[in-house]
Amino acid sequence: MQDLKQSVKKTKLWKSIFRHDFADTPRTRLQRVFGNVFLHLHPVRVPKDALRVVYTWGMGGLSFYMFLVLTVTGILLMFYYRPTTIHAYQDIKDLAYAVTLGGLLRNMHRWAAHLMVVVVILHMVRVFLTGAYKPPREYNWVVGVLLLVMTLFLSYTGYLLPWDQLALWAVTVGAQMAASSPVVGNEGPFRLPFITTANDARFGLIGGTVIGDATLIRFYVLHCIAVPFIFCVFLCVHLWRVRKDAFSRQTGEKVDVWPHLVSREFLAALLSTIVLFVWSMAMQAPLEGIANLNVTPNPSKAPWYFVGLQELLVYFDPWIAGVVLPTAIIVGLMAIPYVDVNPRGVGQYPTMARRGALWVPTERPFAVSVFMLGIVMWFVLIFIGYYCRGPNWEWYWPWEEWSHRRVTKLTLKNLPNLWGGLLLLSYFLQGTPMPKFVKDRLAARGGPRAPALVSASLHLGLGMVMAASIFVPLIWAPDPDYPEKSKYTMLFLSLGHAPNAPVVSGLYRLVEQLGAGAGYAIIAGIIAATGLLLGWIGIGFARFKDRLYEEVGLIKYSLVMGLFLCMMGVLGKIVLRLLFGIKYLISFPGASFNI
Amino acid sequence: MSSRTASPTTWAWLEERFGRREFLLKAGWAFFYLFLGGWLLSNLKYLFPNVLYEPSLSFKAGRPEEFALGISEKWKKAQRVWIVRTQEGFYCFWARCTHLGCTPNWFDAEGRFKCPCHGSNFNTHGDVIAGPAPKPLWRCAIRVADDGQLFIDKGRLENRPGQREQGDFFLPMKA
Repeated sequence: MQDLKQSVKKTKLWKSIFRHDFADTPRTRLQRVFGNVFLHLHPVRVPKDALRVVYTWGMGGLSFYMFLVLTVTGILLMFYYRPTTIHAYQDIKDLAYAVTLGGLLRNMHRWAAHLMVVVVILHMVRVFLTGAYKPPREYNWVVGVLLLVMTLFLSYTGYLLPWDQLALWAVTVGAQMAASSPVVGNEGPFRLPFITTANDARFGLIGGTVIGDATLIRFYVLHCIAVPFIFCVFLCVHLWRVRKDAFSRQTGEKVDVWPHLVSREFLAALLSTIVLFVWSMAMQAPLEGIANLNVTPNPSKAPWYFVGLQELLVYFDPWIAGVVLPTAIIVGLMAIPYVDVNPRGVGQYPTMARRGALWVPTERPFAVSVFMLGIVMWFVLIFIGYYCRGPNWEWYWPWEEWSHRRVTKLTLKNLPNLWGGLLLLSYFLQGTPMPKFVKDRLAARGGPRAPALVSASLHLGLGMVMAASIFVPLIWAPDPDYPEKSKYTMLFLSLGHAPNAPVVSGLYRLVEQLGAGAGYAIIAGIIAATGLLLGWIGIGFARFKDRLYEEVGLIKYSLVMGLFLCMMGVLGKIVLRLLFGIKYLISFPGASFNI
Repeated sequence: MSSRTASPTTWAWLEERFGRREFLLKAGWAFFYLFLGGWLLSNLKYLFPNVLYEPSLSFKAGRPEEFALGISEKWKKAQRVWIVRTQEGFYCFWARCTHLGCTPNWFDAEGRFKCPCHGSNFNTHGDVIAGPAPKPLWRCAIRVADDGQLFIDKGRLENRPGQREQGDFFLPMKA
């Protein structure tokens, strides 16, 4: 046997394929890596730190492995699948029930896609937390964000293909978001004069005015060829940059990639394959009824990674939630390495320290807190959309049973434009810093305490204006939905009786039970208290704001503060919607411009 | 530009900056990028088909006598419309949420249309009373065809109060 092996190894054929022998010597260890086209993506030696599982959790490698699994299973699925409205659904049924191993392949493809989304997001969080996007790795972070966006777009184009109800309605909603985009969408604000349903962004996406065969072939090509092609290009850049920019943490010695890194990669791939196999055998990939353009399932929920966006669409006009906010999130993510000039915290997870009642990251307190808040908000939205929404997208607690016959009369009202505009203005003005030269001038004119006093009174004033512009119109403005009545119905009256505006109806009950005098006095107190609270938060941030402004300059400051205020504003609008029953702050329905 | 010496006259400066060599080089590259950009942009039009093969937007919905007072869901599954009969006459809603295009459902007990995707609520006039939809439901053009059947055209839509209750979008017929 040994002789046979030796003689085979001596043949010209064997030698033409394998250039080295397999004894474990330092020489072959190197040859294995750079003599192999698949392995030479690796360096020959890596820092030992980069191999620690608890540092990287292998997330980047696993994302790549999931991409490979999806490519292979996807290619196999393409042998049976025909992208036409007549065949698509039947072919998927065939794959799931009639083709040998077809069901397993389909399940693996679906669950690997879910796993890839999770892993890519975790990879991003890991890279952020360990500061691995800081110079010289800024550009690779940008490429990574593009890959994340493409991962999500691949998922989106992929789930039209089964041509079931989930597919159709998810794509209907997604395509309609394109129609709501500013300038190039038929139903968006600032629409160009020549844009119609027959030439807007939605038309270009779905290849017609209704979703049908044209859409199916379009999404098929995008999903199977076009996006994976671009994905591969960026993937190459990403992996190449990982090597060229070196690892974020390398304190100790270097070790050979073969066997130290290759064995770990092999083990990770093996384990994740086992997980995927078990998952795919235990759980069927969902397949709803065949697509029906006229009937929407109730409720109609997107896959979990888009449910957060679906929930966000509840609180905002589609052009904001579907176009402006996602763009802001993507641009904001890409901008992180360029606006974060703090050089500390590279190559290690943040350390936490106790400050007052809170645990705060010590080295990058603002960056880490804001990023993690964003991630948590996104998953809270996903949780709400997935577990707290029932038929008609009404609020059901997770332990409540859904009922299609529950009678609910929800009511939402707009704030009058002037008040809403005032609220937005005073909110964003809270973000302005007080530059040093202004402080100096104030101190020169009014003594050393003048700057602090002016800043405090400005923030308190803005807080008061914000509180007033929320509460005053809700209580004293007429309801424009009842113009024909002799005496105008008040917003207070309509929202006071609504089941979905707990704060307003609480105040309404207060006035009813305590009488007008005492009731309105208490309400005035509540307004003042809210104003003080908002002002106090502003004052608390004032010193930090001024320091940040001096550190990073006007442009970076505006970008950071603008994005930060938008993020907190999303939270604020959600609160206004869920607790006050407010629909829009500013509304010009004729121009499709609503905020 | 080899020499950076300041010229005494503007003309000489211009000559150096935009001389024949420079001009030809820049013009050459300008035309290259112009052509490349124009060609790529014109390819965008490739994604917008000129001929569509889509189902007709108009249909005959049967005789007016077949409809009782109230909201009729008879044509919702086949044509995605609700036909509404009031004491004064007929109008017809396109069953497509003005938010993001899902099909709402009619709830008799509340007297509302509710959308399953993001929770928009509409009343029987089509006006939004809750949820994120920014505009009232669209009404389709409705008339009586020559054979006495209702003729509905989903290609012509109106939702502005005032315009939607008259003309082609309302069919007067006492119950």
